[in-house]
Amino acid sequence: MPPPRTVNAPPDDRASTVESTRSTVRRGKPARFTESGLGGLLLLPSVVVFVLFVFWPLGRTLYLSVHGNDLFGAPSVYVGAEHYREMLSADFGKVLATTGLFTLFSVVPAVLGALFVVLLLEARIRGVRVLRTAFALPFAFSVATASVVFAVIYNPAIGVANGVLGSLGIDRVNWLTDPSIALPAVCAATVWMNFGYNVLVLSAGVAAISPEVVEAARLDGASGWRLASRITVPLLSPQLFFLVVVSTIHALQSFGQIHILTKGGPDQATTTLVYSIYEKAFAFGSSDFGSASAQAVVLLVVMLGCTAVQFGILERRVHYR
Amino acid sequence: MRQPKLRRAMTAFVALAAAAALTACGGSGSGTDSAKDALEAPGAEVLEKATDKTTIEFWHGMKGANAAAIDKLVADFNAQSGGKVEVKPIYQGNYDETIAKYKASVQQKNTPALVQVYDIGSRFMVDSKQTVPMFKFIDKDKFNAGDIEPNIANYYSIDGKLQSMPFNTSTPLLYLNKEAFVRAGLDPTKPPTNLDEIGEMAKKLTVKDAGGKTVQYGFGAAIYGWLLEQLIATDGKEYCDNGNGRKGLATKVQFDQEIGVRVAQWWVDLVKGGYATNTGRKTDDAQAAFKAGTVAMHLESTGAMRGYVDAAKGKFTVLTAPYPKASSAATGGPIIGGASLWINGVGHSDKEKRAAWEFVKFAVSPAQQAKWHTGTGYVPVNAKALDEQIDKDWVAQYPQFKTAVDQLHALPPSVASAGCLLGVMPQARKASEDGLEAAIVGSKPADQAMKDAAASVQPAIDSYNKSVS
Repeated sequence: MPPPRTVNAPPDDRASTVESTRSTVRRGKPARFTESGLGGLLLLPSVVVFVLFVFWPLGRTLYLSVHGNDLFGAPSVYVGAEHYREMLSADFGKVLATTGLFTLFSVVPAVLGALFVVLLLEARIRGVRVLRTAFALPFAFSVATASVVFAVIYNPAIGVANGVLGSLGIDRVNWLTDPSIALPAVCAATVWMNFGYNVLVLSAGVAAISPEVVEAARLDGASGWRLASRITVPLLSPQLFFLVVVSTIHALQSFGQIHILTKGGPDQATTTLVYSIYEKAFAFGSSDFGSASAQAVVLLVVMLGCTAVQFGILERRVHYR
Repeated sequence: MRQPKLRRAMTAFVALAAAAALTACGGSGSGTDSAKDALEAPGAEVLEKATDKTTIEFWHGMKGANAAAIDKLVADFNAQSGGKVEVKPIYQGNYDETIAKYKASVQQKNTPALVQVYDIGSRFMVDSKQTVPMFKFIDKDKFNAGDIEPNIANYYSIDGKLQSMPFNTSTPLLYLNKEAFVRAGLDPTKPPTNLDEIGEMAKKLTVKDAGGKTVQYGFGAAIYGWLLEQLIATDGKEYCDNGNGRKGLATKVQFDQEIGVRVAQWWVDLVKGGYATNTGRKTDDAQAAFKAGTVAMHLESTGAMRGYVDAAKGKFTVLTAPYPKASSAATGGPIIGGASLWINGVGHSDKEKRAAWEFVKFAVSPAQQAKWHTGTGYVPVNAKALDEQIDKDWVAQYPQFKTAVDQLHALPPSVASAGCLLGVMPQARKASEDGLEAAIVGSKPADQAMKDAAASVQPAIDSYNKSVS
């Protein structure tokens, strides 16, 4: 321990001398300014922001979920678990099933597809940088922009999709008005939107793989599929896991593409949990914030559940370097 | 050693993202402490005596060409008010969004002096007890409301008393592709007048190419609850009980009765037979199909007419015909929809209320309605507007429009055609679309689909009625 640095301090500062010997850095400062105290102070702004924008709304949501609403949507009487009981219906079951299908079919193809493309881009061919940029480009589109573009592509009368099918002699497909096709069509649009981000993350992951490892594998005769499955993919597993977790949460929160493409239809085929919350709270002059809040709480539970399961099962197979 | 760190960071990120998902919903408490005076109409003297300028907000739900017409209307009003009154128009999103924001403004005690609300929000506006009924201003000023089209005023009146001022009005029409009729050997001057005739003609108007692919459908319209409401009215039937919600609060919707099911079944048969295309609920998509010439007969509002005439230029001729009736025996007519202006009393000074009324009077005057009508395509709410020169010129340019005016004047006023006043009418309309769509895409038989749809809106009706009584 270094010697106390306050030996020359004036007598009136003596009170703090004993303490200061412990914090050897700040001479003559009051003792309450310890490192942990300062840390707390520095955390304060983010704590304030968190309380205001996350915890308070969360508490408010729980409060609203057990109250009725007056004409203008303000909370009125306490109704207990009434809004939660309403959810024990076939309609809400369908909403949950749709949410599950939407999540599954927008996350899995986007992650696997991006992985496939990134592995292909490893090939040393001319123009690979152009291709890499092209595949990452969807990342630059906002959900609203991309959705409007897809709405035009899927348009039943003047859409490009039916135009292409028509020139091949295939009868038109009701992309967004056939209940069995609408959900896959919205999923396909979502996959396209998420593709760029996934390609970016995985490309960065591939770039970070140490060349020595790949070199060593090549010297041992590994190439192509073997190199990819035994070396590259395992080393990419942290990025893959990250993408699965984050895109699942993202998919569960998806709103823009559903609102612009189908408004939850046809015949509720694309009404996911988030869209159902929106309809209860804001659409059609409805201001049923009670039911909407109860569904929001269910959404939180579903999200936490999904993430917990992913951490419990998938993460064991992740190879962190 | 990087493993736990990365893992912890990831866990924290995930927890954050999940919690952030919850922050979307919220609302704040309020009460309504309206003094009796707040809902009375002040006289002209409050503005005459005022020495300062009175500024009021006017919330509306118009965009594009319609918003430009509103801005022009407001600018003209402000200019002629001699610096006494300034109206500030504020676009609040579409009608649904406008009423959602209006509800929030009531909670925050910060309503605009003047707000444009769609027809189906009328019952809610009355029950909100925030507004000065329009008849009070009319009585106060001895204002001549006789020029307001009676069929339009009918919608916004309870017990014959006007609650709000009709502003923009549209009626539904049957649109026809003239060349498609000629090619099919049908006489375009004899359009179908009821659903059965549309069904018959649709068969002749459906054209397939050599490969069996349909290139032109006989009929196509958006799955839009408004169109169903109109068809029910043409049959003289009421959409909701208690005299379409005008004798007392309506307690249930009636679109699951025979007429509603009949319309749904008619539509299902056309789609299943391949004579009609289902473009879904979005009116834009149904409009695109008609503009592209892939649909020969089409139901839409008068508001779409100008866009059709422009889009069809050089390709085909757009004809209009009166809205079809539900059957050959039906004698009613369609409902006059659109939106109206409401003056807020609670939380507003006499000067503000009076300023709002001055603007309302200005907006429905013949000269302004003629400008508004020709700038937007809405039907003028003031009958005298049709006598203005710019209006005559416009009708000469778009003769298709005359159908709408004739239809409006030919309509016998009735309870059915006054339309249903229901607090949760927007949700009822949505439910009827759920029913129609479920039937058309074949997931349920028509009667079951309409029954389930009507049942689905019942809790909302009950809870609304409970909260206002």
